[in-house]
Amino acid sequence: MARPAVETRALIKTFGVVPVLRDINLQISEGRCALLTGGNGSGKSTLLRIIAGLSQPTSGDAIVFGASSRNLGVVRRRIGMLTHQSWLYPNLTARENLTFYAELYGMPHGDGLAEKWIAAVGLAAANDRVREFSRGMEQRLSIARAMMMAPDLLLLDEPFAALDPDAVAMVADLIRSAIARGCTALLTAHSQLDLGIEIDRYQIVNGRVVPFRDESRAPQRSRIGA
Amino acid sequence: MGAFAAVLRKDLRLEIRSGQSTIALFALSLLIMVVLVFALNPQPIDRARDAAAALWVALVFGGMLGATRSMIAENENGCMRALTLSPIDPAALYGAKLAAAFAFMAIVEIAAVGLITLFFNLDFGADLARLAPSLMFGTLGFAALATLLAAISSRTRAGDLLLPILAIPLFIPAIIAGVKASEAALSGFPLAAASQWLGILAAFDVLFITLGALLFEHVIRED
Amino acid sequence: MKNKIGTALGLMTLGLMLVSLFMVFEWVPTEADQGIVQRIFYFHVPCAWVAFAAFGIVAIAGVFYLWLKDQIWDDLGYAAAEIGMVFCTLVLVTGSLWAKPIWGTWWTWDSRLTTTFILWLLYGGYLMLRAMADDTEEVARFGAVIGIAAALDVPVVILSVRLWRTIHPAVLITRSGEHGLEDPRMVITLLVALAAFTALFGWLLRLRFQQLRTRTRLTILRREVALIEAAVGDY
Repeated sequence: MARPAVETRALIKTFGVVPVLRDINLQISEGRCALLTGGNGSGKSTLLRIIAGLSQPTSGDAIVFGASSRNLGVVRRRIGMLTHQSWLYPNLTARENLTFYAELYGMPHGDGLAEKWIAAVGLAAANDRVREFSRGMEQRLSIARAMMMAPDLLLLDEPFAALDPDAVAMVADLIRSAIARGCTALLTAHSQLDLGIEIDRYQIVNGRVVPFRDESRAPQRSRIGA
Repeated sequence: MGAFAAVLRKDLRLEIRSGQSTIALFALSLLIMVVLVFALNPQPIDRARDAAAALWVALVFGGMLGATRSMIAENENGCMRALTLSPIDPAALYGAKLAAAFAFMAIVEIAAVGLITLFFNLDFGADLARLAPSLMFGTLGFAALATLLAAISSRTRAGDLLLPILAIPLFIPAIIAGVKASEAALSGFPLAAASQWLGILAAFDVLFITLGALLFEHVIRED
Repeated sequence: MKNKIGTALGLMTLGLMLVSLFMVFEWVPTEADQGIVQRIFYFHVPCAWVAFAAFGIVAIAGVFYLWLKDQIWDDLGYAAAEIGMVFCTLVLVTGSLWAKPIWGTWWTWDSRLTTTFILWLLYGGYLMLRAMADDTEEVARFGAVIGIAAALDVPVVILSVRLWRTIHPAVLITRSGEHGLEDPRMVITLLVALAAFTALFGWLLRLRFQQLRTRTRLTILRREVALIEAAVGDY
């Protein structure tokens, strides 16, 4: 098997003395879409932050494209992340936010890229300040921000939260396109999703990551049309 | 370089955008000088000394308020994390934030110079020009210090109280040197007379800019 | 084993202190200009030496903490800061007690006292930071940065204050003991006092450091226990 895009080895994270993640051994191969489900406070967001190198594990390691998350170096460039916080500047317009990030990541033609992605997530108000956006609009722009630099790894923490059905379909489409061009994706959600593509399903239970086994009751999946 | 410019431009744009609160900050720094005028009741004999003192008090207190606000803007929607994840070098990020802070403080200082000329009955002329090196070094040094410290204080309880507690003791040597150099300039002495003071200011600047560039990554890292 | 070192250090401190006290109060001759009050010098100077040395330790520990990321360095730095602060306060208090009978004022802005006062403020900032930040790892990192910044600032402080005082000398005469301790007995007394205070510092530092180390180890153990308890919950 080829080297996995993301791999965690005996990853443990405690906050003070409270264990949140216990002995996580997860492997996500390149080009796969993985879904991690779990309740509130289960540690999904923490795991994503550790993989992105934003948080340090208490012990163990997370390896992204061969680099340790404690010292990602150039690998940072290849990660696109969505968290509960939007990472958007409220006093800048949508366009200014995306143009800033484009320049920050050294993308050429930042203006054009910003326009394209604002359209891609269905936002009309490119010149309005983010401060005036609804939660759903902010979420959409944030997704644009995460995906704009053509990352090789997408870490999306509850990407479908606060989105109306149209937006949900749009975002699912964007994720599918990303996978199609070889991107690896790790998503989190509260409940199962069906994106119309093959998904490696995991769940987080009591601080451990286990594969999700669909019990034989009727699937409570929200089908997001392909 | 592109990332540096992007962050600098973004910070400057945000400073301009905050509109009312920027103006209020301006006003506050300048009102501090008004307090000093009434407190010092300047006589013509002492005017160089008093004016220099007022300038530097305004620099310190205005600078601290500005630095805190800039960091709060970064922490608001978690944007600092986005910057940590981005490919930008932490030293470059520090440099950009330092440059933005310096630009803002410099404008306040220029306005302050205008005010002290009025309040303390100074002459517009060579004296004010000679003021430039000490003010510039001082503003640069304080911007370097405040940018580093605000990143710390903005993540602690009562951060806006903690910043002056940390910043002022560290800045004292620059205050001593800066006020002396400014006073010499306003008293009509040539720059050479203040060379030792300016030397101390320059050393302070080099020290804290280097320190900030090296240590910034440790203070912005989460968790 | 550890207790033996502690006891030895404690006894050495006690011994040196007793000798030092005898020398200061009985043996060393009275200084000509200032009289008996001058003897406070033999406490004042060693306290200053300890205060500055402790600060150096805080900074060096900070560097190692940022480099090696091991909590032991932070424990050392914090212990040194706490104890250094005590000695720094003593410098200021003894300086004040010295100033009053000699010059009639409780405080003087001469270059040494001013520098020590600034050091006291730097210590205060460090300790206040540690009191106000919540998370342990974060506060350790911040403390390290502040400790390093402050230690590197001290030379600039000394330079600027000295220059400041040269331009405007304090109205008061400089205190003796800075140039020429006339009698060799004075020099010896000073050296013994330095040794005694250094030993005292070492003993206190060790005590506090071990306290903090124990607290760290306890946290690690609690963490292990919590992990085990959670593992039991799997079954």
